[in-house]
Amino acid sequence: MAITDVPILSMLRTKMSWAQERQKVLAQNVANSDTPNYRGRDLAAPKFDDAVAGTSRPVDQVTLAATTPGHIGGGMSLNGASKYATTKGGYEVRPGGNSVNLEDEMMKVASNQMEYQAATALYTRSLTLLKVALGKR
Amino acid sequence: MDFMKTMTIAASGLKAQAGRMRIISENIANADSVPDAPGADPYRRKIPTFNTELDRSLDARVVTLGRVATDKSDFRLKYEPGHPSANADGNVKYPNVNSLVEMTDMREAQRSYEANINVISATRRMIQRTIDILKA
Repeated sequence: MAITDVPILSMLRTKMSWAQERQKVLAQNVANSDTPNYRGRDLAAPKFDDAVAGTSRPVDQVTLAATTPGHIGGGMSLNGASKYATTKGGYEVRPGGNSVNLEDEMMKVASNQMEYQAATALYTRSLTLLKVALGKR
Repeated sequence: MDFMKTMTIAASGLKAQAGRMRIISENIANADSVPDAPGADPYRRKIPTFNTELDRSLDARVVTLGRVATDKSDFRLKYEPGHPSANADGNVKYPNVNSLVEMTDMREAQRSYEANINVISATRRMIQRTIDILKA
């Protein structure tokens, strides 16, 4: 069993990769805060059920439907951003067609950073716990 | 690393806002430029435009400074018959630059720039946190 297969660590890793991806989406919003017709986006939070069940997400696998025996099935695995759906955000659209609210984005960036910090702190603690279990100090 | 992509996106925002600042400073600097010849047209106000561009290597929508447009509004006319650039009626054409508008634009560019800086420093703190796991 690899160290990363410990459930708590893999859950925290999911959380961390989500925060990483969300930071990217928020950076796009801030960078495009003056672009006409740009609609702000946000990343949907990971589903609690998925984390508990610990199953692989079916969303990761996209396959072509084979409705006739002659069809050749094609498949591809998606990773990274596609795991979480981006949602359209913003209700306040300026005349230029831009819906990014800088204050809101700053709040999101700050809270995202805090969530990431919490996840990494828990990760560190869990590693310490493992060390204790192994008898190292 | 994905955090580096975030930094690059924010950097594209910084670059675009810096370019906008350059154009605004050009407008302010030329606010009182007069035409070279009598009756000729003076400096015309420039308007920066922003474009969203899909960066395929980043898989993200970065911002770029688009075509620099010109303001089509009328020039300011000032009655100065003794001026070397005055036309037959004694009027001198001054650029269609409004200092107030330029100042407002400048503040907005500054605010957007700061927001991008904020994203970069938040991301840097997140990277630092990741590295800190190694120290555990």
